[in-house]
Amino acid sequence: MLALMMIGAYTSVSAQELYVFTEPASNMPTKSIGVRITNEGMFNYPGYVSRTIPEVMIGFNKNLMMHAQAFLSDMDGKYRLEGGSLYAKYRFLSMDEAHSHFRASAFGRVSTSRRPTYTRDINLEGDNSGVQGGLIFTQLLHKLALSSTLGYAHAFENSDRQIAGMPQPKNMLSYSLSSGYLVLPVVYKDYKQPNFNVYLELLGKTDPGSGQSYLDIAPAVQMILNSTTRIDFGYRFQAAGNMDNRYTKNMYLLRAEFNFFNVLK
Amino acid sequence: MLFFAVNVSAQQISTADLQVTGLTCSMCSNATQKSLETLGFISSVKPDLNKNIFVLTFKKDANVNLDLVRKKVQDAGFSVGGLTANFNFNDVKVDDKGQAVVNGNVYRFVNVKGKTLTGTVKASVVDKDFISGSAFKKQAATANSDAYASGTGVVNGKKTRIYHLVLS
Repeated sequence: MLALMMIGAYTSVSAQELYVFTEPASNMPTKSIGVRITNEGMFNYPGYVSRTIPEVMIGFNKNLMMHAQAFLSDMDGKYRLEGGSLYAKYRFLSMDEAHSHFRASAFGRVSTSRRPTYTRDINLEGDNSGVQGGLIFTQLLHKLALSSTLGYAHAFENSDRQIAGMPQPKNMLSYSLSSGYLVLPVVYKDYKQPNFNVYLELLGKTDPGSGQSYLDIAPAVQMILNSTTRIDFGYRFQAAGNMDNRYTKNMYLLRAEFNFFNVLK
Repeated sequence: MLFFAVNVSAQQISTADLQVTGLTCSMCSNATQKSLETLGFISSVKPDLNKNIFVLTFKKDANVNLDLVRKKVQDAGFSVGGLTANFNFNDVKVDDKGQAVVNGNVYRFVNVKGKTLTGTVKASVVDKDFISGSAFKKQAATANSDAYASGTGVVNGKKTRIYHLVLS
């Protein structure tokens, strides 16, 4: 928290809210389509494993947008399609001022995965089938953009693929605090100029059943090219926690996003 | 009669400086620009990326709809922080209540009463969602127009959009 505040206090450039590990309360533009390809990987699973996530995002109107994702990984042996997810976000509050804004959104997610379960952790982006709902609050205050996400997930029963003796996941509380800022350009000239952004996010989860928790620190860098293409690279480190066999531990994330504005009629 | 016809077809708003709030990256500005460019009555959009201002030039003789400009900014996910336009007025009479009707568009001036306006007149729209929420609240407290809160009022027996303007 202090680190996030420090960034806000000492930067002399604009804040950014295109977070890498979480979503901001702001939506994508109406009638626009975004296409993402994300690669996530862990080096000690015990070996190297990775997941590839193709994703399509659609802005229906100024308040409602949706993501559709597919998950492919080699976490259970050979690389295979393991599931998919639908995510919708509705912005219900916007208080915009000249140099600040406060926005709030509600989101929902439904996911499917054919992976077996062997931990109490729940990750609806590839590892579990289930539903999630939550709220996002984003505050832009001059140079500081802070965003907070609160979510509650429920995993569907997975008796077919449950491994004997392994815990069964039920519910999961998730919470995050994100901060980002624009490093370059210092002075804008045109849309062709690359933007360079730096992010720091805190990502936490608590299992209300067992009380087990973990907290990750996730720094990330981002390039925006031609004002349409976004490249993200981040890494999440476990800073604290005690959840056995948790997902997404000490994981890198590499992503390319392409935006097509006003393509829908 | 001929003079009247010329007057009607004369271009009413030529250019506008549009201030957009909440833009934090060139991608956001680009999305706003692309959204504005879908409007048929706009001929060009020139951004000032550092000040988040778009200079809009309108097509000659086109019917400019400022509410659609506001909507396109909102569609892109942002808000209008200010809109100052150049109005081309030809002998436009502003009545004792500050109201003027030009080619069917109804304007109420906050700071002009009982005056005739001619030539290029620079004025800012101060209606809801054309200025920040806090500025609107402040303006609403002092506005002496019954149409200010809703932006509509009854003119000649018909419910009509009324734009509230502050002359620069």
